[in-house]
Amino acid sequence: MTATDIKLKPAKKNARPVWDEEPSFVGKAVKALFLICYAAAIVLPIWAVVATSFASEEALARAGGNLLLIPTDLSLQAYQEIFDGGALTRSLILTIGLTAGGTALSMVLTIGAAYGLSRPGSLLHRPLLMLVLFTFLFAPGLYPSFLVVQKLGMFDSYLSLVLPMALNAFNLIVLRSFFMNSVPTELIDAARMDGAGEFRTLFKIVLPMSKAILAVIALFYAVGYWNIYFSAVLYIPGLETQPIQVVLQRMLMSTQGLPGAAADVSQYQTQAPDSALKMAVVVCTIVPIVIMYPFIQKHFTKAVITGAIKG
Amino acid sequence: MAALQTSAPPAPSRGQARPRAKNKRTLGQRLRHDWPLLLLTLPALAQLAVFFYWPSAWNIIAFMDYSPHRPFWENPFVGFAWFERLFANPYFMPALLNTLKYAFANLLFLFPLSIVLALVMHSVISTKIRSAFQSVVYLPYFFSWVLVVTVFVQTLGSDGLVSNWILGFGGERLTFMSDPDSFLFLAWLQWAWKDAGWGMIIFLAALASINPSLYEAAAVDGASRWRRMWHITLPGIRPVIVLLLILHIGGILNVGFEQYQLQRNAVGYQTTEVLDTFVYYRSVIGTEGPSFGTAAGLFKGVIGLVLVLIANNVAHRLGEQGIYQKS
Repeated sequence: MTATDIKLKPAKKNARPVWDEEPSFVGKAVKALFLICYAAAIVLPIWAVVATSFASEEALARAGGNLLLIPTDLSLQAYQEIFDGGALTRSLILTIGLTAGGTALSMVLTIGAAYGLSRPGSLLHRPLLMLVLFTFLFAPGLYPSFLVVQKLGMFDSYLSLVLPMALNAFNLIVLRSFFMNSVPTELIDAARMDGAGEFRTLFKIVLPMSKAILAVIALFYAVGYWNIYFSAVLYIPGLETQPIQVVLQRMLMSTQGLPGAAADVSQYQTQAPDSALKMAVVVCTIVPIVIMYPFIQKHFTKAVITGAIKG
Repeated sequence: MAALQTSAPPAPSRGQARPRAKNKRTLGQRLRHDWPLLLLTLPALAQLAVFFYWPSAWNIIAFMDYSPHRPFWENPFVGFAWFERLFANPYFMPALLNTLKYAFANLLFLFPLSIVLALVMHSVISTKIRSAFQSVVYLPYFFSWVLVVTVFVQTLGSDGLVSNWILGFGGERLTFMSDPDSFLFLAWLQWAWKDAGWGMIIFLAALASINPSLYEAAAVDGASRWRRMWHITLPGIRPVIVLLLILHIGGILNVGFEQYQLQRNAVGYQTTEVLDTFVYYRSVIGTEGPSFGTAAGLFKGVIGLVLVLIANNVAHRLGEQGIYQKS
């Protein structure tokens, strides 16, 4: 440690360092304007979606549009219809189930392989690692994947939404390098000395030390399952209950006045105004993400960057 | 996203600690010692075998006249006939060109935006503003394309919020969401809304790793704000920029499916057809058959593989680390 590393306590928290000149007023104003506009462009549409989902038919008619910024007379009708046990409720339950089950399975696969491959020099370590890494270089293609799902008899089965995407090699490699670089070797050696086997070491020492990164990886998997759309279009076109994103897409198509979706949508629509119902579905797909978000965010940048910058 | 520590990381302490003599143990001894590790790896390998390597092997039908109705070995090999047919297909070249167009547009227009956002954020001193802004701008990264397109239709569509305001001021409705000529701009707006904040986070982290005493030294030597940015900040994040560029170039034909499929009806297939939608509409649910679709996918996969290898090689020549090290 050299003298320059010693931090002098700044007079004020977040103070500008002494060597840095104060920016001009115009510079500051332009910067502030840029940031405010950017944040508004992101927040306002989301806000409008939420506001519209609570709007009553009269309020929407008065505004004359699909989206409101200020909801006047609030109505919960749209939400009542989503949760009344009909097609929308079934779709939400299905999506929640897929997300929970899929994330659990993915975590088991990822943790197992990340730990199993974290010991260079173990039996078959290099060839197995190469098998994982090759997935970064090549993609098997849409049709062969579709064919394999068909051959396995999983076409029009919910398994086809989970199993093909159950393992993400990138998550595996990030977790593996965390196990190798951030869990102290001494702890693992000590556990070994005390007679703990690999499984005990994994569960009692390695996993408790990796909670933050495990949470982040679980979030990525969960978001992936929650947002399933393409696999549903590809693999389960014939099933009645579809993931929520597919339902949302059908509703969207119907309001754009486009062919092909009108018949499908009638099962979702009843009393609530069209826009309000659709926006309520949008809110339902956003809410889980927003709930998980601050909880994960603490660890987020750190974990992502360990993966990103180290490479 | 982001980089992969692909090759075994250099000199991991645990690997080095393992004495050389241990490698001389017999296979049985090693198996007895390492079986728990193999067992833990097995489920993931099984998943890869079934859903990555098995479909990869099925690519062989791109060279066969494959029909699902006869036994596999009775399908005759036809060489590159399907690829000839692919290139002769009037819809293939437009799909390929569209794919390249959107990929390069993404690279050209989204990267700079993320970098500018990160630079502006980096210069904001208050941590409160920074964390508030950060949490807002990368939220849409987690939204699905269905959600993003829905929000866009509702705000910028012809019946949307903004159209409504314009009508209120006596103007005309916005129609650019269904106009093929402006689709590139629309796609850029959507990328910016969804992904720019995420890119910003990555670049911010890279900026944070620059040693602040460099700035101090430069400032003491009289370097202005702009000179410091040019000579310290940008070189400091160069490795990350190169890395992300490589990753993007490797996946350049992977522009995605959902954004284009979702807007296909509104904008028209000529503008939104990319390679993935081409395979889906012409082969999976179309009439061109399995071998045709597989040939299109294999073409894409091989180009992607070649591009990653070239990009990584170039990165090594430039003295950057790339995604995997030479070993």
